[in-house]
Amino acid sequence: MTAAPPMESTDQQALADEIFRLMVAQGGLFAVDAPIRQSLAHLTTFMARRHQRDEPTMSAAIEAALRDDQRFAREQVDGQVHFVTSRQGRYVARDDTDTHSFRQRLHDPEQPLPIDDISVVVSTSRPAITTVEPVFISDYWQVQVGALAAPEPEEYASEGEQPVTEVEPVPLDPLGGAPTPSEFVLAEIEAESAEPDVQPEPSAFAPEPEILPAAEALEQAEPSVLAPEPEELPVAAEAPVAPEQPFEAPRPVVPEPPAQPLEPVPPPPPPRSAYERSTVFTLADGSAIDLRRPLDELLAEHGPALRQALVEKIEQDPLGRIVSFGSRFFPEANVINLGKNDLRKIREYINERGEPLLDSELIADIFYHNARQSDYEGWLFSLNYRLYREKDFEFVGVEGVNLWSAKGLPNIGGKRVKAAEMGQLTSYLVEGFDDSAEPDELELIDAEGSLTLTLPFFSWEYGVLPLTASIQALLPPPALPDQRSAVLRFDSLQHFSSTLVEVRYPTGNRGGWLQGLEEFFHEHLVPGAVITLSRGTEPNLFVIGYDELEEHEERILTLDEKKNKLGFTNFTYYAAVDAGLLPNQTRFPRLNRLKSFPMGERRKAEMVLEHVAEVMGEQVGSREAPRYAVKLDDLFVAFNVLRPGSLALIRHLIQQHEQFEPDATTPDLFSFTPALSGDDEDEEEEELSLTDIMSDPEPTPRRYGGRYTDDDE
Amino acid sequence: MISFGETATDKLLQWLRSSGEPKDIDELLRQYLVILSKLVMEDSE
Repeated sequence: MTAAPPMESTDQQALADEIFRLMVAQGGLFAVDAPIRQSLAHLTTFMARRHQRDEPTMSAAIEAALRDDQRFAREQVDGQVHFVTSRQGRYVARDDTDTHSFRQRLHDPEQPLPIDDISVVVSTSRPAITTVEPVFISDYWQVQVGALAAPEPEEYASEGEQPVTEVEPVPLDPLGGAPTPSEFVLAEIEAESAEPDVQPEPSAFAPEPEILPAAEALEQAEPSVLAPEPEELPVAAEAPVAPEQPFEAPRPVVPEPPAQPLEPVPPPPPPRSAYERSTVFTLADGSAIDLRRPLDELLAEHGPALRQALVEKIEQDPLGRIVSFGSRFFPEANVINLGKNDLRKIREYINERGEPLLDSELIADIFYHNARQSDYEGWLFSLNYRLYREKDFEFVGVEGVNLWSAKGLPNIGGKRVKAAEMGQLTSYLVEGFDDSAEPDELELIDAEGSLTLTLPFFSWEYGVLPLTASIQALLPPPALPDQRSAVLRFDSLQHFSSTLVEVRYPTGNRGGWLQGLEEFFHEHLVPGAVITLSRGTEPNLFVIGYDELEEHEERILTLDEKKNKLGFTNFTYYAAVDAGLLPNQTRFPRLNRLKSFPMGERRKAEMVLEHVAEVMGEQVGSREAPRYAVKLDDLFVAFNVLRPGSLALIRHLIQQHEQFEPDATTPDLFSFTPALSGDDEDEEEEELSLTDIMSDPEPTPRRYGGRYTDDDE
Repeated sequence: MISFGETATDKLLQWLRSSGEPKDIDELLRQYLVILSKLVMEDSE
């Protein structure tokens, strides 16, 4: 093959132009300043074939043509020659150096403004250090960090110390994190199961003295499961003694004489299994609850304690996510909001109806909601929950019957006896002088739902019944913890009438009572009548009744409220009575001589008893040294004219009173020697004869006196 | 370890919300014990 003649300069120029067009066509889609590279070998092969030249000649021609051309740059990479160009001609490498950034100009302005006060720019005061408020931490975490002693499992409680040295070190997890407590426990379990394999030499710790230096004591105080391989746990490397092989040989421990000996370190708590950790929890009273046991068995055994604990926890929830009314619970977020206008409507509606109303009535009549709607139960709860928090409303219902009273509603039972006075008059019930029934009788009353009792004069006159234990056994207990009163409805099937009765529950040293029966008592009964109270079809419904007898007419004690004087009045009645408690003129002719003390005075039981003894007793002394003989039954009847009281209370008062002496021969007969005083009124009253008593003027007609005749008329 | 009244109360609240009506304390306690039992069984598995 003959060598080709060398190319002319014009040919070289043409060759360079051709290669440039070729490479620009190759990078037609490149950026105008992007490099377009091609190797000399590729160019040579292509151009030699195109121009029918041998490759060495063409290679030399290309080298010569592109070497001096400004559009091409020559590169040599790994022994290969490359030519670089770009669509705009000569390739220039991009310079990304940012010498004019906004960030730099912002911090280093070329012409900074003058600073008169450096404190404007630089604060010389320390920032306030935020204080971390103490937060309640669950017992779980406190146990984990050792702040609290973990509860001892039953199976380990009696076994004493556990040999912690029998456990192998637990390696760390591959990610390098610290092992979790559960991993420790699992490691302990594995170690226990593989006990024969990991049993250390008994001589390993045999020479250890009882008192160790601090470093050694600290090392032993740590459970051995916390001593991992030195290369895996950095903490181990910081330990004073690097345990290359912890169980290799007994280390000679030389106690340093000047070092203060430490107390023997107690052994670590015994290991527990992971299963017990997760299934057993302990209540505040110390009882352990194992969740593996059947649910019914747990509820039967620990139901009340669990219930109380759950209620306490719900009430302690700082977020108040669950709210309660009575024994019902509902999410706070689901409680329907009632505005002031709604509450005003409710209050006005209750006052318009004139008596406490059921929650269901309020919802139906005011909000037009009925039980067929899906959110009805939520409405009921929301109404009760909201009204309970309002001071203008008072819950007067019982369990299962939510009755609401509103501010402005008239008192049930009137105002003849104030609540504070009644609370004091019935305080003997909470002081241990309630002899209304024996415990077995209370159970019978509760089971039968019926109670028979006799009306003393005070109860008949004021329409109140002391809330004795026997009546409490019949009536429902308060539905809410701080409930003050409840309103019940007493139906009379004999007269087709209905009466609202308010139950005032005992509070502190004040007794409880029922009020509101005054009209019914005066219409149909006499003092000493025997009545029967029975439960009705609803928890707040009761039936009041009495045995009807033939017509009787008697002069019975009454109170003229205008004159504030007691007197006898002809009564015609049809009810069965207890003859021993009927305050008629025939048996108790002196009753009308009792003073109708102000109600505030009657709370002084000793004073009332002295007065009753003087009035009801037979004079067995002299005028200068009066002395009265009085029977307990007479004292009881007369005492209950002025205020409620039980036989147990009167017996107690007599025993405590120095001026009362029991008769040696007759049981329940006492002599009373009043203290001498210069009051002539008492003497004048003593001179009243039986004739005077019989001729006492009768009280004026009473407001309920529809059926009894009055002698004055 | 289970802290009674704290553990899984969110699930109890969720159940109470989904029920849509107030629940008695006995029913609430029973459901809570069911939730706790399921929780510990899942953990043990």
